[in-house]
Amino acid sequence: MKQRVLKITLFVILCLAGAATVLPFLWMLLSSFKTNAEIEALEQSFLPRHPTLENYINLQNNFDFLRYFANSILIALVVTILVIYTSCICGYVLGKYKFKGKNLIFGVVMMTMMVPWSVTIIPRYTMFVKAGLLDSYLSLILPFMFSGFGIFMMKQNMENVPNELLEAARLDGANEFQIFHKLVFPLCKNGISAIAIFQFLWVWEDYLWPYLMMDSEQKQLLAVGLTQFNGRYATDYGGLFAATTISILPVIIVYVIFQKRFIAGVAAGAVKG
Amino acid sequence: MFKRRPLQSKSEIWMRNIVMSILVIYMVIFLIVPVVMVLMGSLHQWNPLNGTYKWIGIENYTRMFSYPTFWQSMFNTVIFCIFVVFFRVILGLGIAYAVNSKMTRFKTFFRTVFYMPTVTPLVAVAYVWKIMYNPQFGLIDKIFGLDINWLYDSAFALPALMLMTVWKDFGYAVILFLSGLLSLPSDCYESASIDGANAWQTFRHITLPLLKPTMLFVVVTSIISYLQAYVPVLVMTKGGPGTSTYLSSYLVFDQAFKQYNFGYASAISLFILVLTAIFTVISFKAAGSKEN
Repeated sequence: MKQRVLKITLFVILCLAGAATVLPFLWMLLSSFKTNAEIEALEQSFLPRHPTLENYINLQNNFDFLRYFANSILIALVVTILVIYTSCICGYVLGKYKFKGKNLIFGVVMMTMMVPWSVTIIPRYTMFVKAGLLDSYLSLILPFMFSGFGIFMMKQNMENVPNELLEAARLDGANEFQIFHKLVFPLCKNGISAIAIFQFLWVWEDYLWPYLMMDSEQKQLLAVGLTQFNGRYATDYGGLFAATTISILPVIIVYVIFQKRFIAGVAAGAVKG
Repeated sequence: MFKRRPLQSKSEIWMRNIVMSILVIYMVIFLIVPVVMVLMGSLHQWNPLNGTYKWIGIENYTRMFSYPTFWQSMFNTVIFCIFVVFFRVILGLGIAYAVNSKMTRFKTFFRTVFYMPTVTPLVAVAYVWKIMYNPQFGLIDKIFGLDINWLYDSAFALPALMLMTVWKDFGYAVILFLSGLLSLPSDCYESASIDGANAWQTFRHITLPLLKPTMLFVVVTSIISYLQAYVPVLVMTKGGPGTSTYLSSYLVFDQAFKQYNFGYASAISLFILVLTAIFTVISFKAAGSKEN
């Protein structure tokens, strides 16, 4: 009996917490189908009374949101792929080789994770302006080619790859480049998926750097696009709901499909913390 | 373990040299040079718009320490960190414990739901919450039957940002604590139940101490990331009303890229770096001393 009460209490608490988690998303999605008059009405209803696609159609007419979306996906993909590769290869060298200065290099890699963006962004901005990289996608890619978090994760991962395997390949006459690309790289799926998820998200939601670097509107990324939209149409709540839905919903769909990998990846990143 | 390969192959040396030199070049350009530039910059009057770069010694620092907004932002940041980290840990641990319980069904479902806000882009989420805090038709006031103008009332604006951040981030702590709970050895629990320990005692004396590494990880990574928080401020309040929601990283953004006081912003950012280091060391120390 006591067990049952406890079980039901637990379930109710979890459901309430779950509802609180989902509610803002649901509200956003439903409101994006309401007219502005209905959103601002005194008498509110949760479901739209007269569902309309107006917000989405107007949004795309006034503001090329799909373009921002595509830009963000492109940059996030390029950076993520680069970071996966550089993290694996640096992780391999740092995890498997012994050489002088290794600990020093790894220490500096760890430091990159602790130094706040506010320290590096002013000099980086100065350097990129001087180098004439304003408004070029290179400026959104170059500073993020290596990731301290990624190298740290992959070093841990590489240390779990058995040395015997490498030795066997070496005896077979494979050189290190072949060993890394054909043997080790495919072995690190878990670490790779964790890095992929985090890195993609970080690029996707980064605001300040693309805001500073990109001048032309059609090259801008989604996060900055959202603030520009809000700056121009501050009271168009319906439009803002549609815009946020477009930038949030795809992420949630991808997440729900791959949630197992997502969560395993996050957990893998922390265990050795 | 101690067996060393007698000879390093040529390809290994090549590989090491190429990879490490690229990495070192990258870190010099994007970490070491910037830190040196910030250090130097903080001693200069530095405005990139009109090309000023004039040595002024420690004036940026003296100005910083006598600037009320700086202290206000530091105070806000500390309050923000303490509350958000506290609730993130409590909610994260409590919910992870509930989900992990043998009595809970639909574990995967709950896990998926709680982690959802963490994977969504912060700028977009902040806009949704900004409308949620609207006093006329916002969800928060409607649900709780309140009449608070959250973002325009200096007593409620910072708590509003904290609430949004807790909502956004607690799922990450849930996942970390869940994986921590799953990795606990089951034999401790068996002996505890043989000894007749009740659920609370088991939690207090076995689960909690064993979760300490996870706890430390959550606390340290949270502090580091919240000292850098600026997006909620930028989107929802722009630091206002007054200076009641200025966080120190937002102050850097404001000073650097709105006012173009690069030197002054450099001084503040170095202060944040020092603070990050201090908080990290304290967390590790606190975790270490509880062990005895």
